[in-house]
Amino acid sequence: MTTITDTIRNEVIDKTKAKAEKTAQPYWNPYLSGIGLGLVLLAAFVVMGRGLGASGAFTSLISAGMNAVAPEHTAANNYFNEYIGDGEQSPLKDWLVFEVIGVFVGGFISGSLANRIKKSVDKGPRIGSHKRLLFAFVGGGLMGIGAKLARGCTSGQALTGGALLNLGSWAFMMAVFAGAYAFAYFMRRQWT
Amino acid sequence: MKLFEKLVKLSLNKRLALTAAMLGVTALFVGNPYHGAKLSVDKAELALMVQKESDQISPIEIAEWIIQNKIDYRLIDLRDENDFAEYHIPTAENIIITELGSSSLMRNEKIVLYSKDGIHAAKAWFLLKADNYKNVYTLYGGLNAWKDKILFPRVSETIDNSEAVKIAEISKFFGGQPQNNSQTETAAKYNNPMPKISTPAANPLTPSKKKKKEGC
Amino acid sequence: MNAPYYKFGYFNDEVSLIIAFIIGIGFGFFLERAGFGSSRKLASQFYFKDMAVLKVMFSAIVTAMIGLYYLSVLGFVDLSLVYVSPTYIIPQITGGLILGVGFVIGGYCPGTSCVAASTGKIDGMIYLLGVILGIFVFGELFAWIEPFFYSTPMGKIILPELLNLPYGVVVFAVVLMAIGAFAAAEWVEKKTASKSGGN
Repeated sequence: MTTITDTIRNEVIDKTKAKAEKTAQPYWNPYLSGIGLGLVLLAAFVVMGRGLGASGAFTSLISAGMNAVAPEHTAANNYFNEYIGDGEQSPLKDWLVFEVIGVFVGGFISGSLANRIKKSVDKGPRIGSHKRLLFAFVGGGLMGIGAKLARGCTSGQALTGGALLNLGSWAFMMAVFAGAYAFAYFMRRQWT
Repeated sequence: MKLFEKLVKLSLNKRLALTAAMLGVTALFVGNPYHGAKLSVDKAELALMVQKESDQISPIEIAEWIIQNKIDYRLIDLRDENDFAEYHIPTAENIIITELGSSSLMRNEKIVLYSKDGIHAAKAWFLLKADNYKNVYTLYGGLNAWKDKILFPRVSETIDNSEAVKIAEISKFFGGQPQNNSQTETAAKYNNPMPKISTPAANPLTPSKKKKKEGC
Repeated sequence: MNAPYYKFGYFNDEVSLIIAFIIGIGFGFFLERAGFGSSRKLASQFYFKDMAVLKVMFSAIVTAMIGLYYLSVLGFVDLSLVYVSPTYIIPQITGGLILGVGFVIGGYCPGTSCVAASTGKIDGMIYLLGVILGIFVFGELFAWIEPFFYSTPMGKIILPELLNLPYGVVVFAVVLMAIGAFAAAEWVEKKTASKSGGN
């Protein structure tokens, strides 16, 4: 008898455990996450003398890809050839590329610890997955163009330049919020 | 104590905001962040460097660096534009002393300064050291010494040692003429035509200025 | 006393790549902690429902700014060696507007989409493909964009120089502005929540 009750009890415990594991933990207080992010940025300033970035890594990735497929075409392109450099080493052997690999890993670590790793499409309730993915692609494309035009994205310009009181970064940051708020009305079906 | 109790009762967000506000207010009074770096100048250390002459680099040394195509330093000519256009040591850049502060020189770069006789360069050396430039050197004896030791060195024909041969080779590399002991006349030496400056495109010695991207 | 360490040659490029990886881990970790792996949470910012983007961004800026300021004043960091990218004001504002529109359509920015992708969000992965295409298009059209890209150059210029104010005063003003923005954000969130029936 004792063995049966034990098994039942163990099963119940296992089930509650599994249930607890599946529930994603709530996000951190935004101010604390922000301070954490700020300390990482500060570490980059102190150790490297530079800030964080993201979009630059993808430019290096594209440059490397193009260089492999069509080296002459890439060398003739004034934008990508800067990322290729003198060709002595791969454009992928770049600070930002390694940093962004770290971002993937760091995001995964945090997500695993909080049970937030889940294959899903994130969207509002009033839009289908296919449409959402189309919007994600279009938005990403605009973001790529905008980030290159502004010489950096939210991490490289707004965050890094913001902390360094860089004029261009603050102007950029205001423009990002202005652009997003101005266009938010047209996207309300996607998110709300 | 009442104030302390009140602080404890505040929410986390409010305490964080209060901390930020206090640091912000303090920032009003503590001064310029660019000045902090200047405080680290050590007068005794500077004096010692001068005494030991570890702040100077000989013409031969520079000549060898140029021949070896070293690019881990920047050679700065402090004379005015006209003198620079007339002749300068290959690979040198022209920055006059009043523009040193606003130039593209980095505090962590190895910088070698030279002027006509070295006195001007020595003064510029102090200016840069006081502004926390870490690796600043002067060319020993300035451009005059460069002429004496590299362009028109006195090489005795009778003594044929390896040192003399090396110096003659270096001299020829820079378009100079080794001077024979017998014919040496100080006045005559300065009448020798200065070697022509090769254009940067044709000069393989110009360090390639490949700038690593630091931005996003 | 010789920071930034890299610029004083304390370690070589290879080591700097390892440091890049470690710093990246920290970056990704805190982005995910804040909930920035979710496009819906990010986009809520633009409907005044959840102002986390503003709160996280400004607390990060204030933290790094204050930290760098005090470390420089104490002589620990040589501020002049920290890279400040040059300003080209009109292209940067234009880029910002395009990026803002892309943000609300796509739901991410490049950094946050990496975190989204690594936590399994398919929209984050698709978004990244879009970013890659966008950069490719930009690069291919660069000959045509180039004159605009290099227009209105202002050089390396920071707010204290522009406003002709001491650095510390600008630090104070930014802190004050951030605290004001935080208070406003809390107020707006409450108001939006009560409007939509506490949801």
